[in-house]
Amino acid sequence: MSQYIFKMPDLGEGTVEAEIVCWHAAAGDAVREDQTLVEVMTDKAAVEVPSPVSGRVIAVHGAAGDRIAVGAPLVVFETGAAAPDIAARAPNGAAAPATVPATAPATTVAEATGSAAGSAAARVMASPANRRRAREAGIALSALAGTGPGGRILRSDIEAAANGRPTPLPAAPVAAAPAAAPDAITEIKIIGVRRVIAERMSEAKRTIPHFAYVEEVDVTELESLRRHLNERRRAGAPAGDEPALTYLPLVIMALARVLESFPQCNALYDSARGVLVRHRAVHVGIATQTPDGLKVPVVRNAHALSLPVLAAEIRRLADRARSNRATREELVGSTITVTSLGRLGGIASTPVINAPEVAIIGLNKAMERPVVLNGAVAVRRIMNLSSSFDHRFVDGYDAAAMIQALKEFLEHPATIFIPQGASP
Amino acid sequence: MAQMNMIQALNAAMDEMLGRDPTVVLMGQDIGFFGGVFRATEGLQRKYGEHRVLDTPIAEGGIIAAAIGMSVNGLRPVAEIQFADYIYPGFDQIVSELARLRYRTAGDFFAPVTIRTPCGGGIRGGQTHSQSPEGIFTHVSGIKVVMPSNPYDAKGLLITAIEDDDPVVFFEPKRLYNGPFDGDPHKPAVPWSTHPNGEVPDGHYTVPFGKAAVVRPGSAVTILTYGTLVFVAAAAAAALGVDAEIIDLRSLVPLDVDTLCTSVRKTGRCVIAHEATRFSGFGAEILAIVQEECFWDLEAPIQRVTGWDTPYPHAFEWEYFPGQARVGRALRAVMENA
Repeated sequence: MSQYIFKMPDLGEGTVEAEIVCWHAAAGDAVREDQTLVEVMTDKAAVEVPSPVSGRVIAVHGAAGDRIAVGAPLVVFETGAAAPDIAARAPNGAAAPATVPATAPATTVAEATGSAAGSAAARVMASPANRRRAREAGIALSALAGTGPGGRILRSDIEAAANGRPTPLPAAPVAAAPAAAPDAITEIKIIGVRRVIAERMSEAKRTIPHFAYVEEVDVTELESLRRHLNERRRAGAPAGDEPALTYLPLVIMALARVLESFPQCNALYDSARGVLVRHRAVHVGIATQTPDGLKVPVVRNAHALSLPVLAAEIRRLADRARSNRATREELVGSTITVTSLGRLGGIASTPVINAPEVAIIGLNKAMERPVVLNGAVAVRRIMNLSSSFDHRFVDGYDAAAMIQALKEFLEHPATIFIPQGASP
Repeated sequence: MAQMNMIQALNAAMDEMLGRDPTVVLMGQDIGFFGGVFRATEGLQRKYGEHRVLDTPIAEGGIIAAAIGMSVNGLRPVAEIQFADYIYPGFDQIVSELARLRYRTAGDFFAPVTIRTPCGGGIRGGQTHSQSPEGIFTHVSGIKVVMPSNPYDAKGLLITAIEDDDPVVFFEPKRLYNGPFDGDPHKPAVPWSTHPNGEVPDGHYTVPFGKAAVVRPGSAVTILTYGTLVFVAAAAAAALGVDAEIIDLRSLVPLDVDTLCTSVRKTGRCVIAHEATRFSGFGAEILAIVQEECFWDLEAPIQRVTGWDTPYPHAFEWEYFPGQARVGRALRAVMENA
């Protein structure tokens, strides 16, 4: 038997530490090589760390919410001759008991879990109390996705299912009272995605002087183009093939065109060097609401994508972010961000810049409004754009000019598709 | 009402019973003329005479065997075994004779013997003066096993033990003789004179067997403990800010299952703490009962905090002793999200 100490691996350039999100293995577990050990969170992405070896876990370092430095011990394994071949061990874990009683009761615990490991994959993990709660609420545990360590089903998961809500952010109540009185408080430890969101929001608001600019855009023509494309798609494609086109890919296409003329808005500020880095390529972050909270997957090289490819890429990334499958690469590298709340878009908003970017474009709700057109009142579809700019690097004049240019594209959508040299 | 330490409270119980009941007899090594190594019987031989408070040879098997014989013939012996570590020469007498006498004679004979013995560590006693063998005795059918954690309970439980018609092994956690101990050996000792349970009524009163004490009500987790670990557990919970319900079992056999399980059903979480070693320890029995009775209310696996499965060490006493840090670790484990 020998011990193997698995240290926190380098999870990407510049990562110095990672936060434990949840463990998929515990002391005493037998694990196979490549089996997921732990889910950790770097500054951007949730990463599942696979086991480098097969063996029995002796110890794990850090609890959910703890930050472990790259290179610090993460898991201690027992490997080698006596290390578990799970299948061989399962029927009778009687290998060691003769020496167990006097010195190592922990080994007997491992023995017990080891023999259960064969069926563990199929078994739902939940405490007895939560099994009772689920039974009383008529909820099948197998239908729930546990948010606890190792996918364990928590009380909050059952309550969420009982209330028909999506599963909330994994939270660790320090001392949850069993029967919540009306005035009871709930303490939620800010860890994982939520902690990253909190830190980044604070940092952005603290360091960036936000310049907000709201303009209304007549999207009547954009709407008729969108509707036309959707109808044509429905006529041509097999039923239920592709979801309907939204404004978002159209706006991003227009934005990519605008940024050709406003490179100061497609830039990242490197505060350590005091350098503003302008990017020719447009990598657009898409602010996406997920069960864990806000995430920003990135459409890379949006300027080079055709409309259908862009629309599909936006959908793919949003799905991956919502199901927590987005890779770190899919969540980093944006040069500008677009945020759209869809039907919840409201009239105006004040988006927070996704630092180190210098601009964020917000889409508000598109709705029909009476407007004065050529001396008469007409019904037009109006959508506001609410945007924020880093006023250190983007002057108000340029910000306004950039939004006006975007407005012009959106109000005359054909121009989006006309190459620059040919546009008026 | 007088403020007493646990030694004085035990002395008061024996004084009271010697005075009330002419069949009560004390016996043990150096308990008479000398008054006992811990002074528990000080002054009693002078007060009641050599025929009531007997000095015996250093022969634990003989002490217990003689006590059995005396009890069968109408006396109520209270035998002191100087340290629980020395009780093993008398073990055969306890298991094979004392525990089974009533059964073996179909109730014709019974043995109202009380065996007092100091137990537990935290006093730099090493492997020969620090053991906690209560689990060995709870495993034997036919004897009652109790362990007080404060002067009030000590006097009341000892009177109950002496008046009981069946054998009782009465463990005295010696680290608590002079004051409550929270597990931190570097802090100045706290005397019983400042503690509410250091108030001991005069005269006769009893604390019943089979009745646990809720030391502190709480809602987040139940800590089941007894003896030295009562105060350690309370301090650990307070340090963590966990609203723990702390239950002092006091009486291990018979066990107050109702109080234990009512509490665990309420909190859904349970930590068991004792100073004795872990494997086959009394904590395993409590854990099994709680699991059987409260399974569908459990939010998390039950945790045990115990001494290590080694002889009580000569050195590294505070690495061995299950102090606040280990209780705290168990509390955190049991409070993890579920």
